[in-house]
Amino acid sequence: MELTENRTDRYVVLMPKGKFNLISAPSAKAHIDALVAAGQSRIVVDLSGVDFIDSSGLGALIGALKSARLASGDVRIAAAGEQVRAVLSLTNLDRILVPFETVEAAAHGW
Amino acid sequence: MAGEKGGGEYAFEGLAVPEELGRVHDLLAQAAVEHPEVPSRDLMLFETAVIEIANNVVEHGRPHGQVSWRMTVMIGEDAIEADLYDSGAEFGVDLHAVMPDVEAEGGRGLAIAEAVLDGIELEHSKEGNHWRLMRRFTAS
Repeated sequence: MELTENRTDRYVVLMPKGKFNLISAPSAKAHIDALVAAGQSRIVVDLSGVDFIDSSGLGALIGALKSARLASGDVRIAAAGEQVRAVLSLTNLDRILVPFETVEAAAHGW
Repeated sequence: MAGEKGGGEYAFEGLAVPEELGRVHDLLAQAAVEHPEVPSRDLMLFETAVIEIANNVVEHGRPHGQVSWRMTVMIGEDAIEADLYDSGAEFGVDLHAVMPDVEAEGGRGLAIAEAVLDGIELEHSKEGNHWRLMRRFTAS
């Protein structure tokens, strides 16, 4: 999975591409943890390029969300596809990882 | 080896290592192209479940990195099924897993599989473990 980063003056947008899974989840989590440690704790994950997520990917997002919130920030998700939305719903994680339609909607208020 | 064996049956075999998980996706993608009658949402949810079980074998199969596996996917008239055999040692699995709390960072794999499958069975034998997974097509 590729992970592209785009910084604005108010938040960071991460754009993973491919499968967010057992293989890619640890490095994505480490990337977000490094951002939070560097003081960048407002993060939008643009999931438009992710065609599949598994429980490891979900775990990485939850872990990253918790790190960011401890630093008074947040991890928000945008543009999730059908499979990602289905899995978020099945696991009830859409309660804390609300799937926003766009990056701009996710970053509202920042 | 991978590919369709005929009659809506697809199979591959190899080693149960992370790098091989892509073959599970490839097999189901091939089945989707050749069986457009299968409802896409059912196939997507089935793939989600099968990957969670495959992840489980990759992560917990022992001896680690040396477990071989064989998967067969069968497209029927009203359901899709997968048989997954692996050569690993028997390991304890809770087939009635409860979905963890939203704050948990792990433990969702089997709960996801159970939520989307209509049938999930695991048998142990001298040769290894045998998973049987099935999802019925949703009436449209």
